[in-house]
Amino acid sequence: MSTAAPPQKAPPPRGRTGARLSDGAFALLLTAPGIALFAAIIFYPLLSALITGFFRQDLRLPGREFVGLDNFAYWLNGDLFTILEQTLLFTVGATLAPFAIGFALALALNTGIKGSGFLRGVFLFPWVIPGVVVSFLWMWIFNANYGVLNGVLVQAGIIEESVAWLGRPGTAMLAVIVTKTWASFPWMMVMLLAGLQTVPRELHEAASMDGAGAVRRFFAVTWPQVRGVASIVLLLEFIWNFQHFDTIYVLTGGGPAGTTETFATAVYQTAFSGFDIGRATALGGLWMVLLLLLVVVYLRITERKGDA
Amino acid sequence: MTTSGISRRGALRMFGIGALGVASAGVLGACAPSGAGTDAGGGDPKSKNFDFTSWSLNEEAAKPSIEKIIKAWEKAEKSSIRAVSYPYNEYLSQLTLKLGGGETTGAVHLDIAWLAAIAQMGRLADVGPAAAGGGYTDVALKSGVYDGTQYGLPWNIGSIGVIANSKLLKKAGIEKHPATIEEFEDALRELKGLGEGVVPYAAATKVAQLKDIFPWMQTFGCTLYEGGKVTIGDDASVDAVAWYKKLHDAKLIAADVDRFDARALFGQGKAAFYDDAIIGKGVTSAQSKDKTLAAAMQPVERPVLKAGDTPQALLWGGVIAIVKGKGQDAATEFALHTTTDRATTSEYFAARALPPSTTAGLAAPEVAKDAFTTEWTEKITRTATGSPFWQFAQSTQIDEAVAKHVQAVLVGREKPKDAMKEAREEVTALIKR
Amino acid sequence: MSTTSTTPAPLPVTDRPRPVAKRPGPAPRRRVRKDLLRSRVAAWSAVVAIGAFGLLPVYWLLATALSTPDATFQFPPKLIPTDLTLGNFTALAENDQLISYLVNSLIVASITAVLSVVVATYMGYSFSKFRYRGRKSLMHMVLASQMFPQALLLVTLYAVFSSFGMLNTYTALVLSFTTFTMPLCVWMLKGIFDTVPDALLEAASIDGASRWRTLHSIVAPLAAPGMIAAGLFAFVRGWNDFIFALTLADKEKQTLPPGLVSTYIGEFQTAWPQLMAASLVVSVPVIVAFMSLQRYLVGGMTAGSVKS
Repeated sequence: MSTAAPPQKAPPPRGRTGARLSDGAFALLLTAPGIALFAAIIFYPLLSALITGFFRQDLRLPGREFVGLDNFAYWLNGDLFTILEQTLLFTVGATLAPFAIGFALALALNTGIKGSGFLRGVFLFPWVIPGVVVSFLWMWIFNANYGVLNGVLVQAGIIEESVAWLGRPGTAMLAVIVTKTWASFPWMMVMLLAGLQTVPRELHEAASMDGAGAVRRFFAVTWPQVRGVASIVLLLEFIWNFQHFDTIYVLTGGGPAGTTETFATAVYQTAFSGFDIGRATALGGLWMVLLLLLVVVYLRITERKGDA
Repeated sequence: MTTSGISRRGALRMFGIGALGVASAGVLGACAPSGAGTDAGGGDPKSKNFDFTSWSLNEEAAKPSIEKIIKAWEKAEKSSIRAVSYPYNEYLSQLTLKLGGGETTGAVHLDIAWLAAIAQMGRLADVGPAAAGGGYTDVALKSGVYDGTQYGLPWNIGSIGVIANSKLLKKAGIEKHPATIEEFEDALRELKGLGEGVVPYAAATKVAQLKDIFPWMQTFGCTLYEGGKVTIGDDASVDAVAWYKKLHDAKLIAADVDRFDARALFGQGKAAFYDDAIIGKGVTSAQSKDKTLAAAMQPVERPVLKAGDTPQALLWGGVIAIVKGKGQDAATEFALHTTTDRATTSEYFAARALPPSTTAGLAAPEVAKDAFTTEWTEKITRTATGSPFWQFAQSTQIDEAVAKHVQAVLVGREKPKDAMKEAREEVTALIKR
Repeated sequence: MSTTSTTPAPLPVTDRPRPVAKRPGPAPRRRVRKDLLRSRVAAWSAVVAIGAFGLLPVYWLLATALSTPDATFQFPPKLIPTDLTLGNFTALAENDQLISYLVNSLIVASITAVLSVVVATYMGYSFSKFRYRGRKSLMHMVLASQMFPQALLLVTLYAVFSSFGMLNTYTALVLSFTTFTMPLCVWMLKGIFDTVPDALLEAASIDGASRWRTLHSIVAPLAAPGMIAAGLFAFVRGWNDFIFALTLADKEKQTLPPGLVSTYIGEFQTAWPQLMAASLVVSVPVIVAFMSLQRYLVGGMTAGSVKS
């Protein structure tokens, strides 16, 4: 984020007349509304929630009781690692699949085929439809009894009888990932296409003349140019998917048998269906710790790369 | 946000800053969130305007008749009723949230299974005096009591039982209703033989309604809860779950079905049996294009383990409870009127086939002469019992805990014995909380 | 583009560009043409394959919305519906409740977008154009806040709004939506301001413009497309929110996504044609907003990141 900013130690001198505040004070003043908002609606709730994790507290009843690490132990001895595994499976699947599809599409549209501008607009469609609608649509497509997917597959002779896609472990997670993929590949396509368009065409032509094959050209010319955008869309999508809620909640509600339960659905359901906000926030706290670990690992890897 | 911008030290520092931000925000929101929010009901109890919250307003077959009751009341009393609904499967959680936040006032429609969970929040008014003169039947009156206090005015009382499509049974050559589990299974296999995508028994297999397995557990001889101990996990309950799994694997019941899917399947003539409350007839036949379906629907005594056993069924009903505070008095009047007024209950019965809760209402000729209702009462409600878990505030969490383990067995993630043992531990822990 | 370009272009094989010797003769040119043809074929196959995945569900959404309720209970379903009806759409016009959800969604998403952009403009400007102690930490804080679990924040936000009697208000919805729109807006706008040359600020300062005036009348107009993009993004994310509105709002202030769930799940969940028609109708405002403003969005999203 800061690569474009000039080095910190050399602020450009700005001799302003009549300015009462120093530049630093003015700059801080500009951030004040933002900081106030962050503090009130993000940091305070977060800290408060993390503290609640040490209490036994029912959402419906006043009062709470300090129980130390009980709530954390409940998850550590229970489903924590299953939930982590499933969250990671969903997150990685729903990040890489749309990335691959989005990238392929961006590359295709970037070859300058006819109507690529129009196509880009059309392909944005799935992303623009509200997330809940997307879930409804796929819920209908995957419907066990009258769904079109079963209809097509049965008629084509690929499956013998209808499959309860959302009702079986394995296929349920797959269905959720497919749904989320459908909703996010257009966004990735747009970003990557914009990145690709900054690659000078001459580079490609020259490489081509030089005898470089398509694969080699991709890694030599294209990839270095879009690497920045690619890493950003991957990171953002990963972060968003890690806490994605709607698709899973509407499509499977975490089922069957908890096989699509992720941190987001588990925290929500523990808090707002089980009304146990002590346990819910404890799980949220563990979630943050695990995410922090992931981020640190990620930073290590990228930093080392940067050093090399 | 190229990645090089974030250093590890920076990441740690940001948490430091975060803590600072929190400190400043602490001043802002000094009051510790107390979960249930403010306790005062607030508002004028004498207000003529109030809320009416009911899941039935979310159901096609029920909506018009309830709206009619509301409109009539508004006109007669020159008041305005704010009608609110949430889907049945989301109802308890949404209602709890809105009630906790003080948004919900007035009258709330409750499944009798939820009374304990809502009553313990301390927001409901004692409607004992109003109920005393209502002319309710004893069973009905009792369904509105939690912890010795009358919190609900009973609206309907019935049971959840098995409904059959006699046309499909006939087609499969089944002459009489199966009486034992063995006969039932044979019948299901016959029905499966019909092909055409028929689901012989559209039993609930989604968590939301998997509590339908309780009567089957009882059929196999499990008491669920006895003498202060959870008995789920005993051999009978394990047998019941293993049997359910057998039906599931033989595709005699279908995966991924809840009450609403079951009604849709049944309404399309694709299911021969399913579990529903007595209102199922009205709801399901209304959404079917087959106008002869209503006549083909028959209440079935739940098959028993061995001939001579008592058929099991779950008591089911709805009460209207009153939230303390704004519009409390008018809402009580409204609830009393809705549940006891002869003309209103009869009309409601005509629209929904849902028997009233008053002696007079039940004796009304329209009700007393209805064959389906009479048959239902004799075959199913007669032996229906309430769930032993209803007395606990965590009753829905208990249902859900068991349901999750049953589902895990159905999809092959757990073995019946281990699953029920774990379910017992979880339920025991929930009761203690 | 010209395939007969004669000027040698640099071809970066590693990250470092190296000059390429000019190669005369027709052979490379033919290869280029062959390559071009091959890439066209590849491009079109990708477009068609991804098009099938991306657009067939949209087709099914439309087809179902135009079908009669009976048609949805046929198995296998008819892929090309014959019994077309507009009844599902006309039924919607009478549904006051859905219209009220729609209006709420528009109001809440718009206010969220405006609030986020205003606050984020000052913050992003401060991050981009000033150097001061704590700046980096603040930036990290903003970035990191995207990772904080929404479900966890929600537990406390619910309790706080509840104790202030603010549940079921636009304020509660806007504030809670801001938790996820603000961080991204700050990041996007910082990227935009980075592209405004410092020299321009210097010039303004020499002309005697105050720092406020510089920001409001010189920088802001330049950054307007970026601000629109950020606002659009915030709008869409607010429009799509499900989890916060589901929990914090009730009937009167409810937005579309939870509104659709509470209207159509349950008894009505088998009314697929109605549900699909409603889904389609509620998607229209966003689709229109998007199609007309998409060029800003792409520019804004990528401004901060695409530069190498």
